[in-house]
Amino acid sequence: MQEELLRLKTAAGEELAAISQSDELEPFRVKYLGRKGEFTLVLRHLGQAPPEERPRLGQLANEIKQELESAFAELEARLAEVGVGSVQPTLDLTLPGRTIPFGKLHPVTQVMDAVCSIFEGLGFAVAEGPDVEVDFYNFEALNIPPHHPARAMHDTFYISDSLLLRTHTSPMQARIMEKEQPPLRMIAPGKVYRCDSDITHTPMFHQVEGFLVDRHISFADLKGVLSVFITRMFAENTPIRFRPSFFPFTEPSAEVDIGCVICGGKGCRVCKHTGWLEILGAGMIDPEVFKKVGYDPEEYSGFAFGLGIERIAMLKYGITDIRLFYENDLRFLSQF
Amino acid sequence: MPCYPDLIGVVVARIESVQPHPNADKLVLCDVNVGQERKRVVCGAPNARAGLVTALALPGAVLPGGFTIKPAKIRGEESCGMLCSAKELGITEDQVGIMELAADLQPGQPLSQALGLVDTMIEVDLTPNRPDCASVLGIAREVGGVVGKRIRPPVAAPPVLSGENLPFSVEVESSADCPRYAARLIKNAKIGPSPWWLQQRLLAVGMRPISNIVDITNFVMLEYGQPLHAFDFNKLAGGKIVVRRAKPGEKLATLDGVAHQLDSEMLMICDAERPVAVAGIMGGANSEVDAETRDILLESACFSAIGIRRTAGKLNMSTEASYRFERGVDPQGVPKAMERAVQLMVALAGGEIVAGGIDYREGVVAPAPITLRGKRTRTLLGMDLTLEQIATALTGIEIEVEKIDDDTLRVTPPSFRVDLEREIDLIEEVARIVGYNLLPTTLPMVPMIFSEPDALRELRKKVAQTLTALGFYEAINYSFVTPQHCDLLGLAADDARRQTVHLLNPLAEDQSVLRTTLLPGLLENLRRNLNHQSHDVRLFEVGKVFHPQGNSQPEEPFRLAAVISGRRTPGAPVLHVGETPADIFDVKGVVTQLLDSLRFGAAITCQAGVVGQELPFAEPGSVLAVIGAEKILGWCGAFDQKTLKAFGIKQQAFFVDLDLAALGGFTPQATSCAVLPKFPFVKWDMALIVPEGVAAGEMLSVIHGCGEKFIERAEIFDVFQGKNIEAGKKSVAISITYRALDRTLDDETVGKIHQKIIEMMISRFNGQLREA
Repeated sequence: MQEELLRLKTAAGEELAAISQSDELEPFRVKYLGRKGEFTLVLRHLGQAPPEERPRLGQLANEIKQELESAFAELEARLAEVGVGSVQPTLDLTLPGRTIPFGKLHPVTQVMDAVCSIFEGLGFAVAEGPDVEVDFYNFEALNIPPHHPARAMHDTFYISDSLLLRTHTSPMQARIMEKEQPPLRMIAPGKVYRCDSDITHTPMFHQVEGFLVDRHISFADLKGVLSVFITRMFAENTPIRFRPSFFPFTEPSAEVDIGCVICGGKGCRVCKHTGWLEILGAGMIDPEVFKKVGYDPEEYSGFAFGLGIERIAMLKYGITDIRLFYENDLRFLSQF
Repeated sequence: MPCYPDLIGVVVARIESVQPHPNADKLVLCDVNVGQERKRVVCGAPNARAGLVTALALPGAVLPGGFTIKPAKIRGEESCGMLCSAKELGITEDQVGIMELAADLQPGQPLSQALGLVDTMIEVDLTPNRPDCASVLGIAREVGGVVGKRIRPPVAAPPVLSGENLPFSVEVESSADCPRYAARLIKNAKIGPSPWWLQQRLLAVGMRPISNIVDITNFVMLEYGQPLHAFDFNKLAGGKIVVRRAKPGEKLATLDGVAHQLDSEMLMICDAERPVAVAGIMGGANSEVDAETRDILLESACFSAIGIRRTAGKLNMSTEASYRFERGVDPQGVPKAMERAVQLMVALAGGEIVAGGIDYREGVVAPAPITLRGKRTRTLLGMDLTLEQIATALTGIEIEVEKIDDDTLRVTPPSFRVDLEREIDLIEEVARIVGYNLLPTTLPMVPMIFSEPDALRELRKKVAQTLTALGFYEAINYSFVTPQHCDLLGLAADDARRQTVHLLNPLAEDQSVLRTTLLPGLLENLRRNLNHQSHDVRLFEVGKVFHPQGNSQPEEPFRLAAVISGRRTPGAPVLHVGETPADIFDVKGVVTQLLDSLRFGAAITCQAGVVGQELPFAEPGSVLAVIGAEKILGWCGAFDQKTLKAFGIKQQAFFVDLDLAALGGFTPQATSCAVLPKFPFVKWDMALIVPEGVAAGEMLSVIHGCGEKFIERAEIFDVFQGKNIEAGKKSVAISITYRALDRTLDDETVGKIHQKIIEMMISRFNGQLREA
């Protein structure tokens, strides 16, 4: 028994001395000092020793165990200290993390969603219409008769005498008003088409049309709603300017400018040194448009507006060539 | 902005001497005097000669088009600048040689100063409703309204013209086509260049000076907004003007050298025999004023706007004159502009004015008065305006008003404001003059409205959200594509996708039909990305395709398409995930995850072995059909080599193509939360050797469908062929999860069920248990 204890003491002492890393501590503790460890096993056999030997053996066993325990504690503390100062470089944590691929929405979709959600927040409902539109809704219902000079502002793709690719999302105004009675508060997002292609024009682009019709709606209300939109879309302190303009389906008509987001209004190439950027067209819905859908212009009034999504995306992100939107180059798409 | 920003750094220079260039026949070396110093310039113009005073762009000058002048060696000889033609400097279209300037100009002086070109240009973006502002006087009148002043026109009231004893006559067929036509005769004019001040004014707005007479008509048009035309009187047969529609078969060559076939809808200015001008658009070559012309018949007229639009459209012509007539010209401006032009012709061309003239004016209608209500103005603009404020705003821009009661005005629009016809037109004028930015800004008082969300739009958003989470970037392609896409995909002759909607006026042949499938667009995007070294591509598009429906609007269903190519895990560190390329199971996984995220449960599934005629572009045997309610809703699979080659793609690629509108017809499963199991599951495995033709998916379905209630799920974790497996057979390892909801299952219970399943599988699939 005594031999056994001394052999254990030597073996444990040697093993402890060989430990250099903290993860080797626990197996040692389990092997020798644990509840099922070797000392415990030896002590369990203490009962088999002659009774007169028992106190001495018991004391010896305890001494050896305490000795080992304190040596173990000392080593544990020492290794922990080493750990604090300098971790052994077993894991190179400068290697990259393991990523899971994720994609992104097209910047046009992102801006479109942002625009729509501002108006949805103001209680506007969303409606979408056909891309291939009939001449009537695209032009005539909007007070643009055949041969009207305003048609020259729309380079139209025709499909037949009466069918065309819509040149704006405004036909939805007429389509909805024809079916429903005021009060109305709608936006119509979608693709529009014009036969024009250069660094600032693509033959397909995206617009959001919006309109609000009720009794007693004024030009001041138009200014209010669009100002809210602009401050939400850009920044709270964005300068806003309303300029007279002409659209056959609104009167009074306005173009809305914001202080140049690139130069802060000082003048730059993007704003053509004016300090202002045109971002949307708007106006009070023309009485002729109301008459065509059977509303009494003396009873109802309303405003309409339209804005180009690509233009806003270009301004927001500093995109200088509109054609990038439709090349779907990952080097472009991954930036947004 | 400055009129000629490009003239900075361009100076007057006198060529003192010219020597041949030693190394080039067509170039010469000019010794140039620029005042303080001499410079050596290499020049290739034929008119470079000693004594010529011309224009020199010094190093640093930027010519129109962005070309910067630098000192350079040309064929071995130093050149300190460039001698320029008027065209190179953007002054005129003249490009025969370098500029020939007056000999008395001071060398070294900035050219813009020497030519009096230092001026400011104001660019006005005119809306189509304001033809009256397509003139200097019109703009001045608007400015007057803002600053509170009235304009003074350059000539006083024109004389009343007597039509007696004239050496010419005018006949107008229809007062609707031509409401007013005035003409006067100027004799013995001397045709020659205009004085510089006149040329300069035309040049400043981009017009080419031609001769004094023609320049005067253009100048007065710019000043008054009234287009004028000068005929060589002696070229007019019978000394007669007839304003009539063209007769069938008549032709006319216009001043631009183009011969036009005319039709009876087109209004012509004719002499006794033939057309001599397209009314309101362009003169004819046969009556043109040229160097030999002595007597001039000057026309100032007003034509029907619709008629001019129609004719200009048919002849595909657009001129300064047609621009104005199409939008409406002031009928009262006709004699005023005529008088101004006549006075200038007498002064600048030495002509003698023949007393009297024609002023046909039967079609002139006085503008109708409009009632303007103060209250209506206030409510529509949302601003408290007094009737006096309203009246002041209008009278400031020469609109006459008369108060008819406390809150109503009778407004007579001036003849030059052809756009003012209704009360709303006047309200806009008031808003404009008051200033949009001074009008109040309010939010509308409107009722709460709750509208139904558009289910398909919601579905599209959800799809896009899931696909981006699965690593796909969203693509947006043009709706119009090349008709060749159908061939590139190898679609059969009777494939419905070959029925396309055609554009009548496409920008290019490769954008001439509306797409019937989204895949070609994505394949082109894939090629583009591969060509730009992005090799690992996941792209999707949600968009409309177009199917013709006779003469009606086409059907425009939404589809969803996606492509995968390159590594399975784009962007992830190769170190950790390797470079395994994607395969068919990646697209299958995308479809199942998408259907799962849309909560379609088992209603829509991905099925192998469905043969589709519509997939000539897919690799046979690598295609899965997406099926719901026994209908094919779409496909996923691998593109075949022939298609990839046709699209110029050199690596494997996989696709998803789904009918999104049809997906929208399925109802997502209701969300209800199940109780979480309280007891643990146990997993037991089996490995079966079955003939290689057995579909593993069917083995799973058999287990799921066997009715044992403790089976929670079964999963294939290995399929193996080869070593130790008999040829023609494969080993399929399946792990089955067992769980009871009310207790922990013991080994004995599970063992019995598991054994039963093994036996069932062996007999069903002609298999045997694989020994461990």
